[in-house]
Amino acid sequence: MSPHILFEAIDEPGLNTLPVYEARGGYQALKQALTYPPAAIVQEISDSGLRGRGGAGFKMGQKASFLPVTDAPKYLVCNADESEPGTFKDRELMQKSPHMLIEGIVITAFGTGIHEAFIYIRGEYEYQADILEAAINEARAAGYIGENILGSGHNLKLVLHRGAGAYICGEETGLLDSLEGKRGNPRLKPPFPAIEGLYDGPTLINNVETLATVPHIITMGGKEYAQIGTETSTGTKLVSVSGDVQKPGNYEITLGIPSREIIYDLAGGPPPGREIKMWFPGGSSSPVLTAEDLDVPYDFDSMAKAGTMLGSGAIIVVDDSHTVLEVAFKLAKFYAHESCGKCVPCREGTNWTQKMIERMQDGLATPMDLDLMAGVQTQIIGNCLCVLGDAMAMPVGSLVEKFRSEIEAEIAAAQQRPVLV
Amino acid sequence: MAKPVLKPVTITVDGKEIVTHEGVMLVDAAKQGDVEIPFFCYEPKLGQPVGACRMCLVEIEGIGKLQTSCSTAVKDGMVVHTTTERVKDAQNAIVEFLLVNHPLDCPVCDKGGECPLQDITFGWGNGLSRVVEPKRHFQKPLALSPLVAIDRERCILCYRCVRFSQEVSEDWQLIFSDRGAHTFVGTHDGHPYVAPFSGNIIELCPVGALTSRPYRFRARPWDIEGSGGVCMLCPSQCNVEFTVRDDKVERVLARENDGVDDGWLCDKGRFAYQAIHVDERLTTPLVRTDGELRPASWEEALSAAAGIAGYRAGIAGLVGGQATNEEAFLLGRMLREGLHSEHGLESRLTPLPLVLQAALGHPSRQASVEDLEWADTIVLLGCEPVDDVSILDLRIRKALRRHGAKLVIVGDRPSTLEGTRVANLADAELAGDTVIVWHERIGEGAVELLGLDAKLLQIPSGANGRGLREVGAVSEGFDPTGAKALYLLQFDPQREGIYEQAMADAELVVAHTNILTEGLRTYADVVFPAESYAEKEGTVVHPDGRVQRLRAAIGHPGDVRAGWQVLADLSKRIGLDLGVLTSGMAFKQVVESVPYYAGLTLEEIGGRGVRWPERDAAAAYPSVDPSALGDGAGPASPAPESFRSIWDAPEVEISPALQFVTELAK
Repeated sequence: MSPHILFEAIDEPGLNTLPVYEARGGYQALKQALTYPPAAIVQEISDSGLRGRGGAGFKMGQKASFLPVTDAPKYLVCNADESEPGTFKDRELMQKSPHMLIEGIVITAFGTGIHEAFIYIRGEYEYQADILEAAINEARAAGYIGENILGSGHNLKLVLHRGAGAYICGEETGLLDSLEGKRGNPRLKPPFPAIEGLYDGPTLINNVETLATVPHIITMGGKEYAQIGTETSTGTKLVSVSGDVQKPGNYEITLGIPSREIIYDLAGGPPPGREIKMWFPGGSSSPVLTAEDLDVPYDFDSMAKAGTMLGSGAIIVVDDSHTVLEVAFKLAKFYAHESCGKCVPCREGTNWTQKMIERMQDGLATPMDLDLMAGVQTQIIGNCLCVLGDAMAMPVGSLVEKFRSEIEAEIAAAQQRPVLV
Repeated sequence: MAKPVLKPVTITVDGKEIVTHEGVMLVDAAKQGDVEIPFFCYEPKLGQPVGACRMCLVEIEGIGKLQTSCSTAVKDGMVVHTTTERVKDAQNAIVEFLLVNHPLDCPVCDKGGECPLQDITFGWGNGLSRVVEPKRHFQKPLALSPLVAIDRERCILCYRCVRFSQEVSEDWQLIFSDRGAHTFVGTHDGHPYVAPFSGNIIELCPVGALTSRPYRFRARPWDIEGSGGVCMLCPSQCNVEFTVRDDKVERVLARENDGVDDGWLCDKGRFAYQAIHVDERLTTPLVRTDGELRPASWEEALSAAAGIAGYRAGIAGLVGGQATNEEAFLLGRMLREGLHSEHGLESRLTPLPLVLQAALGHPSRQASVEDLEWADTIVLLGCEPVDDVSILDLRIRKALRRHGAKLVIVGDRPSTLEGTRVANLADAELAGDTVIVWHERIGEGAVELLGLDAKLLQIPSGANGRGLREVGAVSEGFDPTGAKALYLLQFDPQREGIYEQAMADAELVVAHTNILTEGLRTYADVVFPAESYAEKEGTVVHPDGRVQRLRAAIGHPGDVRAGWQVLADLSKRIGLDLGVLTSGMAFKQVVESVPYYAGLTLEEIGGRGVRWPERDAAAAYPSVDPSALGDGAGPASPAPESFRSIWDAPEVEISPALQFVTELAK
């Protein structure tokens, strides 16, 4: 069975409150970390090989090392926007174990010499934000946040900020602009946030799960953590499984296990009588895989080799009761709605793709239009300011690539259907 | 912050080697080497590049993804390709995407013919539209303001107007609302976008989304001609381009001159050209008969005006408004040489002792507009830029925002700019390179300025205030009380709020004007119709010493004659031959009589002007013995009633497009 690190006590009633969290050994890692020289904490994180758990999979230790050594204000931002469709792992973590996240933030801030931290939580997570806020107040009262934390001499201010409903505010620079009070539009990179981020200061941005893992890395030691999982995808990962499965939910797995195990053994597989038509391994932004790919190991590099990505660790299963166009339309509609509008290819490309798929569903298209739509996706990929454009274009492109004849049949079938005018 | 010195950098674009310097964006460096990279959202005047439109994507060796050349600074050894298949595909793609929702409005769109989207589609598009789906719609056109119409369907969301509103004019009124393909530009609650510099967004907009309402449907680019000139509606003296159709000025555009206006115009300069052609414009001479001013022939008017010969010493002269150096100079000759006037000729509303004026104008002390932009400290003394010399308001904001300058404002009169407030000039902390922007209204306290380690920029009341001073329209202790005759060259005492009694008391008042204002209507005996700034040949001097040239863009309307010609004719009638048969001869006389203009030619002035303090002849400027200067009459401080805004002007009142400004002021 997978070792449970993040989810070990997740169902303990009251774990979101300080007394229960402390009784389960909470904040021991912080106390331990405060005795280390700060550089040692970053070293532990590097040794652990922990890769970002929000979608990009960038090594956290490496990202932290990009921060310049300076007396100027630096910032730590926790990306709790979790808007990637299919992803709801951070929700469970924040709702049931908010102190784990707080502890991770304080340790990381101490290790990187940061005195101001923000948690940017999506506005839709009202319930979780209230719980998190209560936990922050508890932690502050107990002296885990604030001035001279536990007598270490380190100060940390922690602010919880609620978003207002935009997927693009999960993109790190879009998040920074939103946090600064502007429209959540992504910025040009370079400069990267580690050099010029929040309020133009050096900023470290990490996902909730990534930061929540830090206390455990301190407790068990980075090298020990690296023993779990594969060589390049170390540790455990929370995976949100949803869609046409019998037991949707969050599961903690060891990275590298066959994807089939997650979908069938943990999530119960598709309903009886149904077959998997396609599945998204890493949220809706990842190119789709089919039933033939169920044995691909669930880790960053194997997924990349398979032409897709691990992403946020969200598996969406689609069974054969759905048409491909249905899936394509949901994707296009979502990304067109969420496009911030700053850059031309994404703004117009997502809008146009949605309109094209609508036309296909309305029976007003021909197979030539499928070539056109596939061509438009290649026109988007690589030309946009941020990855939202690619996040639509790559999965839609993969649908055309893997299900071309089926889509053509759906287009033809739609032409036969009467259209309400 | 001082202007930085930049290291040279060599790059290769499409196999061609280009030598440029660090900090230059790739798109500009390519242009230096005659390689054109298309773009929409890039505009360096608006601050940092945004890389939003993606039109400028190029291939840079060593970098996997295509990069936006507008936001990539050159690095030594960079190798760039702009014509590979990959780049061409991207360019075709962006054009195609732009045309997905952009309406095919060309036949009815004012921008057609001078439209970057048309040009770039033609140059970098694939020439085929594959969109069959309905485009997104907005209610259109809407009035964004009395001056600007907005068509949101045409908008390509290049961000330029919003960035202008937020980062240049800093009025923060324009924002984006909504998201994705439904984003639109507007004010946050739909109120009209009224701001002193709002018209600039018309020129910034690369499509026909923001158009000029006064110019709507007036002309197509092939109907018109452009003619360069200088706006004479305030001391900013911005360089402009008159759009002329059928000998009428239909529009005014900016003619970018970094040393003067940075490519911007204020709304007064942009729209008050209408005052040139409305009915209220005076185009025939007027002579007062039976108590009323009636139209007369030039012969009648000149005869009546020749009555000044009977007043000799008792005549006083005032000059201001749009008067050129030549006009003021010739008037001065006529009054002094021809009539031996005791009162003399004056152009300043707050005259300073001549010796003090001379000391303050010494070339070693002069700050140029560029000095202002790169100063470490800027001090405002008795001056509110947006009301006194509008375009410098934007330049000061640029210095504060982008170059880290600090602003000190003397006094407690409210200002649109934010700076450290001090009660007196002596309290101001001057750090680094300092430029003091001071208005002549502060009076004799200006002597305080001489003791400071700072460069000075004097703002006069009139558009050509500096030029008029330098060609001799100044008299020691000017006082027209008791003058029996008054000669007013573009000056209405009642309008200016000074010397009104002298005008009422004078027996003979001769005036030159474009617009018959109340004071002249009541007291003038002879009125000559004056040329507007779009019809004149002449020179003027910017507050920072830049001599600029006015060129005629249109012919004289009605019976209007050149100012120098009227003065020469009148002067001959009273017995003095000024020896001027052309405007060029008048200019030559000016140059020969002002020692520090020596050697200046119209060619040297050209279209960009030349700062005389930078020329060798500036050495001929007289130095002033400091002991001749008094202590001044107290600290430099302006009388409240001396603050008059450039927006409170007859040209604004009679321009239909700017009616709302007069309404707002009420």
